[in-house]
Amino acid sequence: MAAIDMNKEQLRKAMEGDKPVLVDFWAPWCGYCRRLGPAYEKIAEEYGDRLVAVKVNIDEEEQLARSEGVELIPTLILYKGGKAVDSVVNPGSKAAMDQFLQAALDS
Amino acid sequence: MGELHVYDMIVVGGGPGGYTAALYAARAGLDTLVLEKLSAGGQMALTEEIDNYPGYEAGIDGFTLGEKMQRQAERFGAKTAYAQVERMDLTASPKVLETSESIFYARTVVLATGADPRKLGLAEEEALTGRGVAYCAACDGMRYKGKTVVVVGGGNSAAADALILSRIAEKVILVHRRDTLRATKVYHAPLMQAGNIEFRWNSTVTALLHGDKVTGVRLKDVTTGAETELSCDGVFISVGRKPATELVRGQLELDRSGYIMADETTKTNLPGVYAVGDVRTKPLRQVVTAVADGATAVHMAEEYLAGGV
Repeated sequence: MAAIDMNKEQLRKAMEGDKPVLVDFWAPWCGYCRRLGPAYEKIAEEYGDRLVAVKVNIDEEEQLARSEGVELIPTLILYKGGKAVDSVVNPGSKAAMDQFLQAALDS
Repeated sequence: MGELHVYDMIVVGGGPGGYTAALYAARAGLDTLVLEKLSAGGQMALTEEIDNYPGYEAGIDGFTLGEKMQRQAERFGAKTAYAQVERMDLTASPKVLETSESIFYARTVVLATGADPRKLGLAEEEALTGRGVAYCAACDGMRYKGKTVVVVGGGNSAAADALILSRIAEKVILVHRRDTLRATKVYHAPLMQAGNIEFRWNSTVTALLHGDKVTGVRLKDVTTGAETELSCDGVFISVGRKPATELVRGQLELDRSGYIMADETTKTNLPGVYAVGDVRTKPLRQVVTAVADGATAVHMAEEYLAGGV
């Protein structure tokens, strides 16, 4: 499944579901964020049965980014039961995202 | 267990050199796979505007150009795996590439792993890249027309960058940690004669001052330890490049700086292994020279696969 663009309200609903939620906080002007895009879509596809992959544009959701403590982008945060369990800033490869997720999903 | 899938060609790295090799290989009917750790484009994926790649008269951003090259190669059947290569055996037959995704096998390998500018390692250096921090005067210099820029470094690339910028910017301040340049003599007179280049000898940059963008740097005099602040609009970091050749060290001949030894044919010391783009020993590292290498490598690989050398 492809990563889904969400606003604050949609994200709140997604967090009520059974699956962990992975959020990519990004912005259109951020070069590092664009570079992460294709591999993040691959992650969304490969982990589709274990989590919901979401994208949040911090220009449109400033308040949400602030309340989640996102200072640098791209930042990936994994939520379980609505709680942030782990995060990673600007992973340098798909392999780095895999490593982050494998540890965070098992924690 | 099924038979091993052996690709005719595996390209390591999805920058302009890599995807051009993939394009030529796919069009030549070779079963071709590109291994890319993150996204197409390589170094140029972070370049906001490329104005020296012919055919894009209005300029194009590097990320988009990278994606276009990927799609063009894939249109002819090249495949991409988002995989980080962990180990390679380039002498085996077929050649073996162990990655974060799985193990791949190939008859020929094109190394297009590129090089990265060396960083100063300052806090927020990455976050400010493109917002005042730059690594390529020829690429990003035009944005500083009439402004004040700092160039960090004392070698040939720093001297060349300072000269390029002196023709664009209002003022250039060259910061070097020694009291003389390491750059070859040919650069010294032009630097002195430029008229708008100042020198801060025996100095290192200890911090980037910024709001949304860079507003200045903090300098430390390495002889006295005194710190000063300097305002500027941009900081060009010209302290060299680091080729991504750790995985082939011991298998391929490298030069003293770590680049893969290969001439214009792109052939390395191992049969069926080619080096293209910035990772190869060459006089000019640009998108146009990388794509040329990609085409050449496939020509050489076709000869090799046909039983020649």
